[in-house]
Amino acid sequence: MVEAEKAGLAMSPKSAARAAILGKLGTECRAADGASRPEPIVRDYIRRGSLDADACVAKMIERLREYDAEVTECSPEGLALEIANQIVRSGRKTFVAPAGVPREWLTPGFDWRIDGDLAGPLAIGEIEDCDGVLTACFCAVADSGTIVLHHSPAEGRRVISLLPDWHLCILRASQIVETLPEYFDRCAKPPALVTWISGPSATADIEMTRIKGVHGPRFLNVVVVKDGKTENQE
Amino acid sequence: MSVAGQPILDPVLAPPFPKAALTVLRDVQLRKNVAHATDVIQAKRARLVAEKPDWQALRASASQIRDEALDNLGSYLEQFEAQCTARGGAVHWAADAAEARAIILGILKEENASEVIKIKTMTSAEIQLNPYLQAAGVKVFETDLAEIILQLGELEPSHIVVPALHVNRSQVREIFARTMGLSDLSDDPQALTAAARHYLRRKFLEIPTAIGGANFLIAETGAVAVVESEGNGRMCLTLPRTLITLAGIEKILPRYNDLEVMLQVLARSATGERMNPYTSLWTGVTPGDGPERFHVLLLDNGRSAIRARERERQTLRCIRCGACLNACPVYRQTGGHAYGSVYPGPIGAILTPQLTGMKHAQSLPYASSLCGVCYEVCPVKINIPEILIDLRAQVTDQERKKAARLFDPMYLGMRVANLLFSRAWLFHWAQWMSRIGSKVFTRKDGWIHSLPGMGGEWTQTRDLRGLPKQTFHAWWKQRKQASR
Repeated sequence: MVEAEKAGLAMSPKSAARAAILGKLGTECRAADGASRPEPIVRDYIRRGSLDADACVAKMIERLREYDAEVTECSPEGLALEIANQIVRSGRKTFVAPAGVPREWLTPGFDWRIDGDLAGPLAIGEIEDCDGVLTACFCAVADSGTIVLHHSPAEGRRVISLLPDWHLCILRASQIVETLPEYFDRCAKPPALVTWISGPSATADIEMTRIKGVHGPRFLNVVVVKDGKTENQE
Repeated sequence: MSVAGQPILDPVLAPPFPKAALTVLRDVQLRKNVAHATDVIQAKRARLVAEKPDWQALRASASQIRDEALDNLGSYLEQFEAQCTARGGAVHWAADAAEARAIILGILKEENASEVIKIKTMTSAEIQLNPYLQAAGVKVFETDLAEIILQLGELEPSHIVVPALHVNRSQVREIFARTMGLSDLSDDPQALTAAARHYLRRKFLEIPTAIGGANFLIAETGAVAVVESEGNGRMCLTLPRTLITLAGIEKILPRYNDLEVMLQVLARSATGERMNPYTSLWTGVTPGDGPERFHVLLLDNGRSAIRARERERQTLRCIRCGACLNACPVYRQTGGHAYGSVYPGPIGAILTPQLTGMKHAQSLPYASSLCGVCYEVCPVKINIPEILIDLRAQVTDQERKKAARLFDPMYLGMRVANLLFSRAWLFHWAQWMSRIGSKVFTRKDGWIHSLPGMGGEWTQTRDLRGLPKQTFHAWWKQRKQASR
């Protein structure tokens, strides 16, 4: 077996294996969007939800709470104050925030480390030392209580919402859609990086008992900003 | 449960299912653990599926999307390769397990990696990657909680989603206390989980090379998606300098938007959650965010041969949710090890023999009562019972050509039956003979309670109805004559 593996490497397995696999599969004529099928894919599942905006927000909050996330609501004017409330109540001191979040979100009097400003990205160790993280998000899906990050400048690099134990996420009501297909409708083009977050990190590997907080943040706090607008397209 | 470093889940070496199952069926603790876990997941799944009014529509779309991907697999793989490469990823191809292992070790050598962290991937278990890397001097650290339990306890996985479901909390406590040197650890799952978090934290931060799998490869964009719960996946996907993704070629989805269906059915089917805690998607290399070097290894290892077969192609639709395992009345009794493969349960019973080119694991297509519940719960509508029957026919066709089967009582009996059933006069004669022959064994109540020889294997556990005094044919004839 070892000889075979060595021999395989010597004759450049990439090209040989590639040719062999594609040879078996065939690569002829694929027209766009499944045109090779006699019938197009039937998509009879629910695309658009039926709830009004308020009910949709209520459902999102209910789902988040089922995942043991902490949720509060506020008006756009009261956001900075609500963030300060959360920060103070968390009892934590050091926070990381991506460079793209508005300055007024950064409650004064706490140690804020900004990732990706003029000083550049934070080192992993600096992020690991933070007690919490504050980010915005791209969208949220009420049906499953899912927060979607596209890692824009206000949502931050993937690592900042991963290492700190406490994640405070700001979600505008207008970013909440009811169904997962509605989220995909909001993507003008497919994003390169996405993280779908449904509650804090969890496992049920031991006797199917759900335990919160394995490696990701153990605490997820969400502030829903009632901005009273609805977005249809990004 | 590995013997001298030799994994028991190797279809080439594993004993036949009925033999392996006997050992497991005597393990009361294991059966209790498996029954508990499968009961819990089944109940959660049933509740969440019931709340989806469009569940059947989602299943139909999911199966059609997977079919479209498989029908055009070659061109979608090319598209994936082109897109992923354009975004800074390196795409490798491996025809079989040996090639895949060699390529991965080659990359690790280039990286001077003596340690790797791993996200749970069944495909790496399929190619027996860990023992190979360890033998080559690379230390492998599994990071999924269940995989840590198995790795530290030197146990084998028994389920494709919850691989340690056969291990209970006190067994986990014993493993962790012994291997992590935590003598005062309690058996509370919270404490055990915290121990795993602590054990792995520094490894995440310090080991610069990770190996993972893929739930989906997006042809349209060259993106890869990983679906997980704990965050160990996110750690391995963002912290290391180098990431190696090992994926079966069938993991392709045509478009990004196809996830709107797959993500709705996967978590509900797998763990009975509306959505799993974390799903990550990335495309090649993103400067400043995540690994600087990204390799994808596309593995065939028998898949293209399955795809080439018209009826069995649907096997490859599988998205590894494990719903068929949890629902299967056979799996629920035996757990996973009896299947002698990293893919147990109904999907394993059809996938494993096919992955070996129908050369091994030939008892697996029989490890089913054909009740059909696996088909009913499958989110991509794989008609497992149909394939099981088809594979049984293939096994029989192969077997009866063997010289050793010439005098095998079962095959001999089948040949005789073939002869009798094809000629009416012979059949009537055989019926007459059996009626006379069975009279000795038929009791007054009209039942046969015990038979000698091979027939005894039937009557050992059940009674057999004695043959009636008159055949239907004879009765019909008589009735016609009487009415004249």
